Amino acid sequence: MVLSGVDKMIRLQKNTANIRNICVLAHVDHGKTTLADCLISSNGIISSRLAGKLRYMDSREDEQVRGITMKSSAISLHYAEGHEEYLINLIDSPGHVDFSSEVSTAVRICDGCIIVVDAVEGVCPQTQAVLRQAWLENIRPVLVINKIDRLIVELKFTPQEAYSHLKNILEQINALTGTLFTSKVLEERAERETESQAKPHSEQGEQVYDWSAGLEDVDDSQLYFSPEQGNVVFTSAIDGWGFGIEHFARIYSQKIGIKKEVLLKTLWGDYYINMKAKKIMKVDQAKGKKPLFVQLILENIWSLYDAVLKKDKEKIDKIVTSLGLKIGAREARHSDPKVQINAICSQWLPISHAVLAMVCHKLPSPLDMTSERVEKLLCTGSQTFESLPPETQALKAAFMKCGSEDTAPVIIFVSKMFAVDVKALPQNKPRPLTQEEMAQRRERARQRHAEKLAAAQGQTSQGPTQDGGALETSPHEDEPRGDEPDVASVSRQPVSQEESSQEAFIAFARVFSGIARRGKKIFVLGPKYSPVDFLQRVPLGFSAPLEDLPPVPHMACCTLENLYLLMGRELEDLEEVPPGNVLGIGGLQDFVLKSATLCSLPSCPPFIPLNFEATPIVRVAVEPKHPSEMPQLVKGMKLLNQADPCVQVLIQETGEHVLVTAGEVHLQRCLDDLRERFAKIHISVSEPIIPFRETITKPPKVDMVNEEIGRQQKVAVIHQTKEEQSKIPEGIHVDSDGLITIPTPNKLATLSVRAIPLPEEVTRILEENSDLIRSMELLTSSLNEGRNTQAIHQKTQEKIWEFKGKLEKHLTGRKWRNTVDQIWSFGPRKCGPNILVSRSEDFQNSVWSGPAGRESKEASRFRDFGNSIVSGFQLATLSGPMCEEPLMGVCFVLEKWELNKCAEQGASDKQHQGQCDLAGEGQGGGKTCHVGDENQEQQDVCSEPFEETSQKGDSPVIDCYGPFSGQLIATMKEACRYALQVKPQRLMAAMYTCDIMATSDVLGRVYAVLSKREGRVLQEEMKEGTDMFIIKAVLPVAESFGFADEIRKRTSGLASPQLVFSHWEVIPSDPFWVPTTEEEYLHFGEKADSENQARKYMNAVRKRKGLYVEEKIVEHAEKQRTLSKNK
Amino acid sequence: SIFTPTNQIRLTNVAVVRMKRGGKRFEIACYKNKVVGWRSGVEKDLDEVLQTHSVFVNVSKGQVAKKEDLISAFGTDDQTEICKQILTKGEVQVSDKERHTQLEQMFRDIATIVADKCVNPETKRPYTVILIERAMKDIHYSVKPNKSTKQQALEVIKQLKEKMKIERAHMRLRFILPVNEGKKLKEKLKPLMKVVESEDYSQQLEIVCLIDPGCFREIDELIKKETKGRGSLEVLSLKDVEEGDEKFE
Repeated sequence: MVLSGVDKMIRLQKNTANIRNICVLAHVDHGKTTLADCLISSNGIISSRLAGKLRYMDSREDEQVRGITMKSSAISLHYAEGHEEYLINLIDSPGHVDFSSEVSTAVRICDGCIIVVDAVEGVCPQTQAVLRQAWLENIRPVLVINKIDRLIVELKFTPQEAYSHLKNILEQINALTGTLFTSKVLEERAERETESQAKPHSEQGEQVYDWSAGLEDVDDSQLYFSPEQGNVVFTSAIDGWGFGIEHFARIYSQKIGIKKEVLLKTLWGDYYINMKAKKIMKVDQAKGKKPLFVQLILENIWSLYDAVLKKDKEKIDKIVTSLGLKIGAREARHSDPKVQINAICSQWLPISHAVLAMVCHKLPSPLDMTSERVEKLLCTGSQTFESLPPETQALKAAFMKCGSEDTAPVIIFVSKMFAVDVKALPQNKPRPLTQEEMAQRRERARQRHAEKLAAAQGQTSQGPTQDGGALETSPHEDEPRGDEPDVASVSRQPVSQEESSQEAFIAFARVFSGIARRGKKIFVLGPKYSPVDFLQRVPLGFSAPLEDLPPVPHMACCTLENLYLLMGRELEDLEEVPPGNVLGIGGLQDFVLKSATLCSLPSCPPFIPLNFEATPIVRVAVEPKHPSEMPQLVKGMKLLNQADPCVQVLIQETGEHVLVTAGEVHLQRCLDDLRERFAKIHISVSEPIIPFRETITKPPKVDMVNEEIGRQQKVAVIHQTKEEQSKIPEGIHVDSDGLITIPTPNKLATLSVRAIPLPEEVTRILEENSDLIRSMELLTSSLNEGRNTQAIHQKTQEKIWEFKGKLEKHLTGRKWRNTVDQIWSFGPRKCGPNILVSRSEDFQNSVWSGPAGRESKEASRFRDFGNSIVSGFQLATLSGPMCEEPLMGVCFVLEKWELNKCAEQGASDKQHQGQCDLAGEGQGGGKTCHVGDENQEQQDVCSEPFEETSQKGDSPVIDCYGPFSGQLIATMKEACRYALQVKPQRLMAAMYTCDIMATSDVLGRVYAVLSKREGRVLQEEMKEGTDMFIIKAVLPVAESFGFADEIRKRTSGLASPQLVFSHWEVIPSDPFWVPTTEEEYLHFGEKADSENQARKYMNAVRKRKGLYVEEKIVEHAEKQRTLSKNK
Repeated sequence: SIFTPTNQIRLTNVAVVRMKRGGKRFEIACYKNKVVGWRSGVEKDLDEVLQTHSVFVNVSKGQVAKKEDLISAFGTDDQTEICKQILTKGEVQVSDKERHTQLEQMFRDIATIVADKCVNPETKRPYTVILIERAMKDIHYSVKPNKSTKQQALEVIKQLKEKMKIERAHMRLRFILPVNEGKKLKEKLKPLMKVVESEDYSQQLEIVCLIDPGCFREIDELIKKETKGRGSLEVLSLKDVEEGDEKFE
């Protein structure tokens, strides 16, 4: 039975001064939801017997199963104290780290919060986090110390011990608040200092430096929790009792005859009572006097528990009668002491009263919003309030006033969107049928029955000859009939069968000012909207209808359709919502993604973005089990993205659908949601694909045991070189310094290529300027075509020269002389971090000026084939020899390029080659396959390239190896590959930079996890005013899967990492390394069994791609399982 | 001996490598799943490959080859040396695990090629290899070990098209045709082009269009024949795919 009906709530909503918007915050398992249960039961929504067991706010199935809250949900409660009636909008929030984004959404729309702390566990990591969040949002906290019963029952504390324990907890929390306060003061001070530095002349008179840091000047007495101030309550939610000091102060002031005010001050603290003198004195430790709190309060509770647990019937009765309670016969006889305690205590010290009274007295109403908070909400980023346009500044008054007149601007903040089954919406709820409707239905059913009979008769009379036809038509006839009841039901409840599976999105919002009415037109302002934008675009004082407004980015206009009162699992329809209330708004899913500000005036700025404690870091790739279900998955992921404030969803270039969540539990919930609500398909989850790059380095100076190379006897050197030789087929000449000379298959041309590693700086410059290189490429290609291109933009030209200058600066030394001028192309995709340099004497071509020496016939001959060479280079850079990943930071030098005489004729078939070249270049997108003859491939006649005789060839160049240009491409590609292979090859891994915030006591564990995953710490510094350390580290992306989770587990949530992709880094170990020197044998053994990180990565990639992996199928021949056949 | 189950010894963990030389058949006894490894150079320890260093005439009967035969056939009686020769040149029984890994490798390779060539026509984004592999298993594709993986990949694409939305990534081409033949030629090209992105009739007819890579050759030949070498064709991109990451918003 709902005691306080919707009508009453609506009435209460109008009295803004008596509204309290509060949320319950705490560490996981400290009893938020149980406390909420107790408060709900006071309203009669759930039975008080079930309070604490039902977890009413945990409406999701997995919440109930796991026993943790996963979302924030609101409920409106009614509380009466004397003549005053209060409306309390209570928001329950999750405590688990993964869902701290939900906490943020809850905190934003509240004015106050209840911080719950477990009396046994004390202050936990999340307690700190939520305190910080409340602090950052400028909302006032009150403290509930919960689970006092555990001190009695589990820890068997004496009242005295319990008191000192509680005192300890309180001190811890106050210390935390203190740090938050100091860090804020210090920050403000730092800000002020930078400001004053900016204008040093303004305050010249003030010469004395102020060392006090301003801490002493700021009043902080209001900040701390203390029972005598009434902002602390001691409870046991599971047993349904709780009390504040005030409660007992009132009782004892009557009993003992000491003034209530005095008792209020002395009940908590080291005071004792001298009964004879009726005087309260300071505790003298030596006399062993008990403090008042122990003597008057705790001991009573202890004795009650003692009596009940020992089943001391008489004593219980005595207590019950002395307290003047009435215990039901059922509870009194119940064998479980818990039930008895619950029954007694919930009457003696009702928890809801204690907590709600504190909430109503100590927490502010929406009217009391501080101007500080308003300004903070309105100023995004570094903006100051004063810099906002005057129209916006004017809104501040509206905020403060929270007025409900029609003239007041409507301001609503949507903090999150949540999905609700359409069936659960109030307008779709089935309502009992009236008599008339029942009669109608009966009639309809009768008719249907009659028709069916008639149809059946007709069918039989048609005879067997038309049986097939009849069968075919009958379903058609049936269909409309079958529809009839559906149509009828639609009119009753507007959910058709199809819709019933849908999710409706409801905005979780709060009205800050004005009255939200159904049907009101309102602006939806996205998080990136700027009122300045609007004011610039729209003339002041516009009077046009809203539809005619010019489009403004991040702004939309919509009508408020459905307003709901949030009642936990239920929703109640509302017509209008007065200011200061929490509400649900339906029908916004097309306008609002995750959060938004709704306002009737466009001059309102969007609220500052929610302040998330946890950023999404756990990445997984998601795929449908059945490939045909891709569209459902995409749709589902979009819905999920909207429904969850913290999740990130993206499609990568590789085609992977990646889900980024805040943690493992959060991930699990997202996947469950995706499977059961949003996509409704089977999905599989995997580690995302990790990219690598391939490169070469200078030959190492020292070997793996740090001995200089070249001194020792190489034990296996012969074996090694033999192997290397065998890798390179015949016909290819390899110089000792890595120059590869290779002829085309028809022996008409010979290429000499060398690979050189580029300096790191150059690679970085190339990476940064890839856009510029691309535009350069476009330019030259249009020049080549001889088309009249528009004059090169002055700026671009400048940039190109600057870029060239930078390259020249870094490519110095004998080896690189003139290299920059000789750069022919960049690769892969013509804009990558690899360079092709042409040092061929009779052919010059450079990216800077376009082909030089156009006129000479000789050069034109080369030029025609130049494109093939470039294509070959592009292909080679796109997929390296190690694991077909792109190259990075390699310079290929084409040293010599000889064309035999008959190749000259090839030029006659210029037209044809042109195509092939281009086809080859285009292959930039393609990968491993031999490009050579795209044409053949196109025909789907897949034969080995270069072997099929081309049909169209009337030119002698097209011989049995295919067109000459194709051969050139392939030869160039091979040449590049071999040139790479003779150099020391290395793998490059993508690296994350990782910022970790950790307290000093878990620092060691953070380091352990980092080093286990090949991470490297760059720096570590302490955050001013706190005991938090900020650690900066780099970590290979390949090792990051599960990293965040591990670090959290190892540090019990005290350290939270943030990963951002930063750069590529060469893995120092050689993937092909085997021990060669004696020392290495000694150190690593013959097989080098110890882990070679680069090889591990390389093999993993090769395996994934289905390439050949040098791995033994069976390691030990003798250890195979012997399976006999035919037995 | 009497052929009863009790005194019948089965060679259960033996892979035989045979070679005919000088009219005689020689066999050696090897461990299973090791011979292919030896041939590819992964396994370097001969003792891990050979069960025994002796050369047989018939392994299952245990008949060792005679010295004279060895000398006449191989010119030496160094058993180990002969074993090595037989190992590299003889015919091998491919063992189950070896075959399995080979097939698996080909399967992966095919899937990689398919994933590389194809896109989801709705989003113009590639499918991942894992997804293609799963789809291939769904259509019960069996790998043929003696056909090239590329060829099989094209077959797979055809079969997959019936099950899911997959298409070969389109090629983007630009034709530059002389005006007088252009009109006529365009009509002929029309059925081959999937999407015409732009047409420009200034001095010459210039068309940018997307085609299925399968008809490239046809188009190429058509243009060459019709314009007698005056029209030209340019591949703008081989794969028309979306680039960069996309965030849902």
